Amino acid sequence: MTRDQQEAKIDQRALELCVRCGTCRSVCPAFEVLGWESKNTRGRIMVAKALREGFPPDAGVLDSLNTCTTCGICAAKCPAGANPPSIVQEARRVLVGRGVMTAAQAGFRAKVAESANTFGELGDRLGWLSDREGLPDRADSVYFVGCLDSYRYPEVAARTFEILRRFGVSLLRDEKCCGSPLIRTGSPAETVMEENLRQIREMKAKTVITGCAGCYSTLKRDYPPEFEVVSVPEFLALHLSELDLKRLDMTVTYHDPCHLGRHAGIYDPPREVIRAICRLVEMKRSREEARCCGGGGGVRAGYPDLSLEIAKHRLQDVPDGVDAIVSCCPLCVRNLSDAGAGVEVIDLIDLVARALETA
Amino acid sequence: MDIIDRLRDIVGERATAAPAERLCYSSDASQVRGTPDYVVRPLSTAEVSAVVGLAAAEGVPITARGAGTGLAGGAVPLRGGIVLDLSGMNRILEMDLANLAVVVEPGVIQARLNERLRPFGFFFPPDPGSANFCTIGGLIANNGSGMRCVKYGTTRNYVLDLEVVLADGSVVRTGSRTLKSAAGYDLTRLFIGSEGTLGVVTGAVLRVMPLPKARRLVIASFSSAEEAGRAVARTFAAGIVPSACEILDRTTVAVLRRCEPSLKLPDGDVLLFEVDGSEGAVAEAAAEIAALCSSSSGAAAAASVAVVAGAEEMEEIWAARRLVGAAVSRLDPTKSRIYVGEDVGVPIKMIPALIREVAEISVRFGIPAMKYGHIGDGNLHVALFIDVLDEGEKARLAGAADAIHRAAIRLGGTVSSEHGIGAARSEYMAEQVGFVALSVMRAIKRALDPKGIMNPGKLGLDDGPAGVGGSGCGARADGTPGGKS
Repeated sequence: MTRDQQEAKIDQRALELCVRCGTCRSVCPAFEVLGWESKNTRGRIMVAKALREGFPPDAGVLDSLNTCTTCGICAAKCPAGANPPSIVQEARRVLVGRGVMTAAQAGFRAKVAESANTFGELGDRLGWLSDREGLPDRADSVYFVGCLDSYRYPEVAARTFEILRRFGVSLLRDEKCCGSPLIRTGSPAETVMEENLRQIREMKAKTVITGCAGCYSTLKRDYPPEFEVVSVPEFLALHLSELDLKRLDMTVTYHDPCHLGRHAGIYDPPREVIRAICRLVEMKRSREEARCCGGGGGVRAGYPDLSLEIAKHRLQDVPDGVDAIVSCCPLCVRNLSDAGAGVEVIDLIDLVARALETA
Repeated sequence: MDIIDRLRDIVGERATAAPAERLCYSSDASQVRGTPDYVVRPLSTAEVSAVVGLAAAEGVPITARGAGTGLAGGAVPLRGGIVLDLSGMNRILEMDLANLAVVVEPGVIQARLNERLRPFGFFFPPDPGSANFCTIGGLIANNGSGMRCVKYGTTRNYVLDLEVVLADGSVVRTGSRTLKSAAGYDLTRLFIGSEGTLGVVTGAVLRVMPLPKARRLVIASFSSAEEAGRAVARTFAAGIVPSACEILDRTTVAVLRRCEPSLKLPDGDVLLFEVDGSEGAVAEAAAEIAALCSSSSGAAAAASVAVVAGAEEMEEIWAARRLVGAAVSRLDPTKSRIYVGEDVGVPIKMIPALIREVAEISVRFGIPAMKYGHIGDGNLHVALFIDVLDEGEKARLAGAADAIHRAAIRLGGTVSSEHGIGAARSEYMAEQVGFVALSVMRAIKRALDPKGIMNPGKLGLDDGPAGVGGSGCGARADGTPGGKS
């Protein structure tokens, strides 16, 4: 059974860990923009608690729960050890189970149901792949591309696979959405998850490699632990000596995606790769302290203005004089770009590709 | 026109009567509950003045709120009405360092103010555990202080002038930018600690201090919290004034280790003495304290004494200490810290007696107690923790909190040193300050707020029996919206 198939229930013990001290007020990125108590972590936990006690789930409740990006900085700072993103996600599941959801939540469900991707795209998911010959049916490692790179950043998918292929990595023939947008917004995702699982099993893959922080988090936490999940930056760092990268005369900064950083503790590998290529200057707040890009948890789809405002706040952390902002998540790249970064925002693989081209 | 429409005429979309918002403003970190009818987030004194004027005209209660981190229900609207969330008024308006002053709005976060002051070599000394998220307005309303009170005093010592919106909506300034003034009643100090019962603070001129050149931390461990308490009394009797003097009992040390495994803290009941000043003076004072802790005989002597001079290591210890209050669940996830009986204070030499009584109360009621706090100013934070799903423990908790409050009063102390009375401790006001003093306070309240709209139900100021909140964990802990008190 995947975690997704378990009964939706807001655990009272998890709620009682919150003593309403207010530590999370100072870090919640949505609250920083919106300013209302219901739009910070403490308020969301009060809302989740009230829902258990029969509080009517009106629009205010939905906005409270769904403006959380699940960035997890509240959990990292909570002195009592509460896990608010998990509570928020569970509260969303409970409401969705009762048929109470926002238009954006319903939109994710409809799109994934009809197209198995988060955009409702009906085109070829492997449209970015020019050479499909010789893809092995079985491989120790497979590249999980994700919806965003498949449909919005096909060049990133192509560049990533060009490198991974050299190491014998293959692809799922009919990859589906990993389920992340559904799970984060409270909907069941077993249909797509089971289809991905079936293919991973058939390929006898022991390792799944992904370049999307959201996919990474989902494959790692929500799928059964049958295979190892490796992020692209981890893979690149492991194989640095084999890549023959040339130095580039540029200075970049690195944005830690929440689901790769705080949720998974992957901080050093992307930095190792960047430092092998060019100069790295840290953002004002980085690693465990990194601020969210505003894109996650369904916020980009559900509350686009809020999402962009959070991204603008994050961009204030960018140091002066950098040539690019590098990240390891297409959603972060997208949201920071859309917020008007002022410099190019690129995936780590783009930087690696430039260092390879120079060679 | 409906009140919500009239509020929106004043502040636009920053006024709401939405149920979810009213729910989220129905508590602070205490067990006190009261649901507002409206929440308003003003951004200027003019807006606050207009909202209070409307409340006065309509006879609607009005409760000011900062970050809602209070531990006594001070910002909880017991009788409904309007909650004024002032956390959006968060500008530092002026850095007047030639006059040792800064001008701030009430929603400025304490730590943000100190971040701004640090490059100039100054700081605002009141340093509560919640410094990273509490507001200056909340500190003023409760006369908050924190870890460095023992040398630097409380917020009261750092407010030169206030801008206050009175109960009829008029605006008053209470002081001046001078460091001293002998012009009539001290209105500034009247409003400090008044918990929003006399007016709404909308601006403050604060006095700031130069940052000390050096700091040292002496860490001493003892065989019991009581012995640690005696060591504090000996230190003060020797004429040494540390800049901070904290106790962490062995349970607190265990919690801190769980939160930050890298922290270098000894076993036992621990004292942290911080000294600050010039390099030479701090080295001398740290050595004196270390010698005093070590030199006693038998059980009274410290089991270990260490002096820390590294700024980073000191900051790590202080950062962990700031958050320990809520962290007891790290030891046992089925236990939650309930903030009741958490802020008692006694004269310094009565500290060992208070620690002894708290230990006895903890055993008598079967409620474990973690003890930590600003022992150097006599303020002991008692963290009672229970399984909140156990009704029996909940009932015993109320008894334990009441016994702790009464013990503090009996020892010549106070039921609140820095968190405030709010509703959670209002029943103790008459016993603590005496009926005559309470009558004077009530007379002041009637003079300034004849309609009784400013944060009603707090501080024991309402005429009649002065009991609204009991130990703070009684009938109000229903948590349901609409459950006005």
